[in-house]
Formats: sequence, C-alpha cells, structure tokens
Amino acid sequence: MKLAALPRADWFGPLAIVILASIVITAFDPSFLSPFNIQILLLAASVNVVVAMSQMIIIAIGQMNLAIGAIGGFAAITFAGLMQVWSFPPPLAAVCALGLGAAAGLFNGALIARTGVSAFVITLASLSIFKGADLGITRAQPFYGVPASVKAFGNATMIGPIPWLALPAAVVVIGMWRLLYRQKVGRFILAVGGNSSAAELSGVSIERTTLWAHGLSGFLAALAGIMLVGRLQLGQPSIGDDWLILSFAAPVIGGAALAGGHVSVFGTLLGVVIVAMITQALVIFRIDPFFVQVVLGLLILWTVGVNRLREVRLSGGRA
Amino acid sequence: MTTPTLEVSGVYKSFPGVKALADVGLVLRPGAVHALLGENGAGKSTLIKIVTGVYQPDAGELQLEGRAVRFSGPRAAIAAGIGAVHQERNLIPRFSVGENIGLERLGGGWLKGVDYAALHADARKWLDVLELDIDTRLPVSELNVARRQLVEIAKALSLRSRVLLLDEPTASLTPQEAQVLFRVLRKLRSEGASLLLVSHKLEEVQEICDEVTVLRDGRNACANQPMAGLVRQDLVRLMIGRNEIIPSVSPRTREDAPTLLELRGVSTALGHAKIDLSVRKGEIVGLYGLVGAGRTELAKCVLGLHRITAGELLVEGEPRRIGSVAEAIHRHGIGYVSEDRKQEGLILAHSVLDNAGITVWRKLSGRLGLLRDGAVRARVGPIISELEVRTPSLAQTVGNLSGGNQQKVSVAKWLAAGVKILMVDEPTVGVDVKTKAYIHELLRRLAQDGAAILLISSDMPEMIALADRIVVMDGYRITGELANSRVYDPMSEAIMACIHRTAA
Repeated sequence: MKLAALPRADWFGPLAIVILASIVITAFDPSFLSPFNIQILLLAASVNVVVAMSQMIIIAIGQMNLAIGAIGGFAAITFAGLMQVWSFPPPLAAVCALGLGAAAGLFNGALIARTGVSAFVITLASLSIFKGADLGITRAQPFYGVPASVKAFGNATMIGPIPWLALPAAVVVIGMWRLLYRQKVGRFILAVGGNSSAAELSGVSIERTTLWAHGLSGFLAALAGIMLVGRLQLGQPSIGDDWLILSFAAPVIGGAALAGGHVSVFGTLLGVVIVAMITQALVIFRIDPFFVQVVLGLLILWTVGVNRLREVRLSGGRA
Repeated sequence: MTTPTLEVSGVYKSFPGVKALADVGLVLRPGAVHALLGENGAGKSTLIKIVTGVYQPDAGELQLEGRAVRFSGPRAAIAAGIGAVHQERNLIPRFSVGENIGLERLGGGWLKGVDYAALHADARKWLDVLELDIDTRLPVSELNVARRQLVEIAKALSLRSRVLLLDEPTASLTPQEAQVLFRVLRKLRSEGASLLLVSHKLEEVQEICDEVTVLRDGRNACANQPMAGLVRQDLVRLMIGRNEIIPSVSPRTREDAPTLLELRGVSTALGHAKIDLSVRKGEIVGLYGLVGAGRTELAKCVLGLHRITAGELLVEGEPRRIGSVAEAIHRHGIGYVSEDRKQEGLILAHSVLDNAGITVWRKLSGRLGLLRDGAVRARVGPIISELEVRTPSLAQTVGNLSGGNQQKVSVAKWLAAGVKILMVDEPTVGVDVKTKAYIHELLRRLAQDGAAILLISSDMPEMIALADRIVVMDGYRITGELANSRVYDPMSEAIMACIHRTAA
C-alpha cells in the first residue's frame, strides 16, 4: 500500500484514536499502561471482539441481528446448566452450546431467506423467543456450578498480561479475516451485501449465503456467551443484555458500511479497543460509568458521519 | 436445419396488473446472432429474464438443445450454459474488476482460500479479448459507466456459455468500443455460439444480426425472420405496428415566448461541464442521450439535489440558487416526473389522493399544521379527472392502477403543485402504445397551456414526435442542439451524429 493511501484505510482513523488516547490517558495516569491494567483491558476486549464479529458478519451481508445478545445468553446458560445439572465435561457442554448458537442463527437465517421479511423484524421476534426461553428455564436464577477449570480459563493469564480468553478471540479475528478476504463464503457474503441482485445474477445463492452469515453470527454469539461464563464464573441469565450497542458501535467505528458490502475486521478490532479504553478512562477520571452509554452513542453518530462523508467523496459526489 | 440451441415457445408471463408476455416464441441457432427488437415495454427484458431463470414463465416451454428445461433461478441457467449481460448494472462496486468477472467461479477450499493470482490472470484474458486496458485489481466503483459495461461483457464472455444474451450491451459505448465488441461477437458466432442481441440501434442490428424476432405489446410481431432483405422501415413497422408517422404537429418555434428555465455554463458536483440549456414558456425541449449520459443527473441538479459548482441557473430570467427540492417546487415552480416512478415518483401503497396531494400538503395545511382531506380533494380532484386517470376513487391504492395511470398520477402531483417548469424523465418507459399516445397528448397540452417542459428520453421516435428543439447530451456535456424538423430519418441521423462526433 502506498504511503499516501494510508489515511484512506479503514483502520487508520481508529488506530490514530487508540494511540492518541493512550498517550493522553497515560499522561494523566501512568498506571494506564501497567501490565495489570492491560490485562483488564484485554479481558474486556476479548469477549467484546467476539460479540462485535458476530454482528459484523451480518452487517457485511447488509442486514442486522438484534438477537445476538439473546442467543449469547441462551448459549451461556446452556453451557453452565449442562455442567451443573447433568455434570457434562466442559468441552462437551461448550460444543452443545456452540451448536445451539449456530442452530439459533440458522433459524433466523432460514426465516429471513425464505420469507423475505426484513432481518430487523425476524431477529426482533427471535430475540424475544430466545430471551424468554433463557429466563423461563433458569427462572432468572444463575447457575453457580461452574467447574474450576472453566473459571481459570476465564481469568488466568497465558503469557505476561495476556489472558487465556484472548486466545479464542485471536482465533476468531484471524478466522474472520481469512473468511472475508480469502474464502469463497466470505466473498459471497460481501457480494450479497454490496449488490444482492448482481450477486444473484452471477449465480450466487442468496439463500445459502444468508444461512451461512446467520449461522456464523449465532455461533460467535454463543462463543462470546461461553467466554463470559468463564469470566464471570457463573451462568448468568442476563448475559448478552448489554451487547447490542457495542455490537454495532465497534464495526461502525471500524469503518463498516451499514448498508452492507463493506466491513473491516481490524477496524472492528480497534473499535472494540476504543470502547474498552473509553470505559477505563471514565473510571480513571472518576466519571460515572453509566455515562459510557452516552459516550458510545456520540461516538457512533460521529463515526457514521465521517464514514458518510468518505462515501460521498469515494463516489465523486454521485451518491 | 441444425437443432436449435435454445427454443422458446408459447411463453406467457403476467405481473400484477400487467400482461408482459403472451404466446411468445423464438429460436436461437448455433453460429448465429439473433436480434430481439421491440419498443420500450414490449417485453424484451422480461423475455431475457425468463431465459436466464430470473423469472419463471406462467406457461410455455424452454428447450435447450432439444430437451425441455425449467430454471429455478439464475444459478440453474448459468449452470446450463446460458450467460447474459443484463440491462441493469450488475457489478459489485467495492469488489475488484477481476473478482467481479470471476465471481461465480471463486474457487478455493477451506484451507487453500481463493486463488487471487489465477482469478486476476483469467480476468486479464477476457479483458484482452475486448482490448480493454484496465487494471483487474481496481475496484469497479472507480470505473466510468462505459467501462463498467465492458467489464460486464467480459464477465459474460468468461462464462464461455453456449447461449449468450446481451441486453442493450452498447447503450453507453462509443462506436469504436461497439466495433470491438462486434468483432468478438462475430468470432463467437464462427465458433458456433448462439447469441441474442437486444438493441435500439437499428443500424447495428442490421450490421451484425442474422435473424430477427420482434415483440410488440408482449406478443411476437415476427419470429426468427432472416435479416437479409429487411430494411430499416420494415423493422420499424414490425416494432410499432405502422410506419413511423410523426404526428401532424408542424414544426414550431417559440422564439417570442419568455425563457422560464435557463442554464448558462453550468458545471455540477456530479461532473457536468459547461451546460447551456434553455426552455421557453410553452416549449417542449428534448434532452436526448444514451444511458449514462448524465441527463437524469442534470435534472436532479436543477432540483437542488446536487450542487451546481459553476455557471448560472436562471428561473424566469432571474439568477437563482436552489438549495432543496422543496424550494424548487414551492418557490420556483419546478417539478420533476421521475423515470423510476416505482422507486422515486410514487408511494405505491398510498392512495391516489395522498400521492397527488403530497406536493401541496405544505400549502394547504392550516394553522397548527392541520390538513383537511376536503381541501386536498378540492385541489387534486379536478386535475385527476382532467388527466382522465382511470381510478374507481381517489382512495384507490396507486399500486393497483395500470402503469399508464400511475404515470398520470405522478404528473398530476406536479400539476396540483402548480409548477410552471416540468422536467419529465422517460415518461413512457413500460407503458403500452395507447397510453403512450395519451401521455404524449398530455405533454403537448401542458405545453400549449404555457408550461415549459424539459423532456428526457432515449426513445428517438418519441423525441422527434414531441420536442420543439432537441438538445443532445453525451458524457455529461451538451454535444449539440437541433431544431426539430419532425422528419424521422434526417433527424435521427443528425442526433446520432451529435453523439458519435464526440466519441470519434
């Protein structure tokens, strides 16, 4: 890539923000870059990046998935419940929960592809179904019987300040990058998001591509739910309730086009880091953490504005 | 005779409210170029979409090399060896040229991934066939319309299909680019492929096609007739069902009337440069050009949707800056009947009253912003009956009206707003011959009553029948202005010369 083209890359702006913000925050509080603080940042970011990828794949195909939190929560209590009630070994329980997540996503995808009803409506309804099942099964009580190995996976560090949770997150990021830029399925998802009638006339099956995207989205949501069970050390039914804003914020900060057809995996990763840094900064500056939501909302509006400007310039004004 | 590659027989297709095709047939032979002709709305694109599996026929049969086939979708048609260049732009803007060309053949397994080197090498081969020097790694969004069209053709060629359908492939090409394409088509023909060419340029059809099928109002006006021996007038007669009669309106000039809309040296944010254009009171000025010439875009700039970057826009002689569509309508009396009435012109799910009244709600809403149905009715009702819109009541949903009546409603909404300047974009696309005549009559009457009309059309006979003056646009520039003599042959030649001059 030529040097002059750098500022046009999706990840350039977010990276600049990350570096600048690190310098500013460290100037106020040098402990910001301490190993302990970095570990906290990585713990939060590891789960959140999986959540963000779960939404990003749906943004790529030009739709939205409101049900990722509900799927993640349902998978989380399934994972914890199987281990507590039927004493499933953790790997088997995890496979079951991931399968459930993928199935839930395929259910959404099949309804969207077959009926042609918008993803907004379908996932709004399935959000209610999955969340209701979650609360009905648990009676809103957490499962506490999480094995020590799972708790350790969710909190222990691997090398230096890097937690074990960063491992699945890294695999997901690299896997998504490969999928979207090197794999047929990923290219088809972006093609359908970019111009679905063109993709269809080129022989791409819209139905199969939609199923893939939603199946993957459900799988990733379930993975995030399982990771959170390890981190929180219990099967909390409310897992996933606060994912929605973040799941849109990170891809959008990373340069995704909400109309579909264009997302950036590394931009989204940086988006997650930015959100984690904001959360930390508010703690350091002793601002009420509830204001995180306000800042996130403002950040979304700002980045959408910047992306829109870029879009208009890209098309030479012929938007 | 040899077995036909593709045989279409007895095909019927209806859409809600429209009978698109009735008992249509055609036969494509190996090693032949077949022309499919017809006016706009005659059913050519529908037929192509049936052959390529986009639509399923209501009745009738497709036979591929003697065997009956039924395509469940475009994938099935491609798999059976039918390739097509569709009329709509069908590329994925953010993808590279190479990936667009090879999209249906992206290989790669789970471990290997897509082989981009091979993909680009293959794409290069097909671009070379078309003598196109484009970097295959460039995103399609950075190409101009003509190059995108050529990329689509390369994409279709890369399928190496036995049957290749081309729907207006030359619509935005220069004559040189078209000649290269024809060389390629002749080569394919000599290799035994079956080609179907849809075009409104009769010269090129006569140049390259061996057989011709003409559709008129969704029916065969002729099927599989050899091109040899047919002259231009024969084709036209088949297409419109009569000789080209230019209605008895004699040429007229309006030089004494005041100029209502004038552009002086206008450049726009969309890329128009040095546009000079004026429309007088009571005058119909035609704006002719090929697809992608920038005519619709110019109208949208006048409406204030896009910025005018240089030059002057004058309304009734006064220089104006129009910042929004609302301003264009309410302050300056400029209306625009969209080419795409389904997407941009009408709200199909709403009633006739709501559609026709939408432009006057602002004026009619009383204190507190309340809007009384009665007031809108009083304003809109007479116009709807004046235009003879055939609707059971004003409460009827617009989506249930026929195409022609929908078009009248979209004109009605501007009349209700009391516009003095009306820009009409492709007003008769997709309407039947009779309605077309009505709409022509309506536009003439509006001009008679003092409106200034800018008519945007790619329909040459329509242009010559309606316009007082014809302005030709190509590549976002004005390339000529002609007084309309209303004699078809010399006029159409003069108009095409204006386009080809810049291309050459």
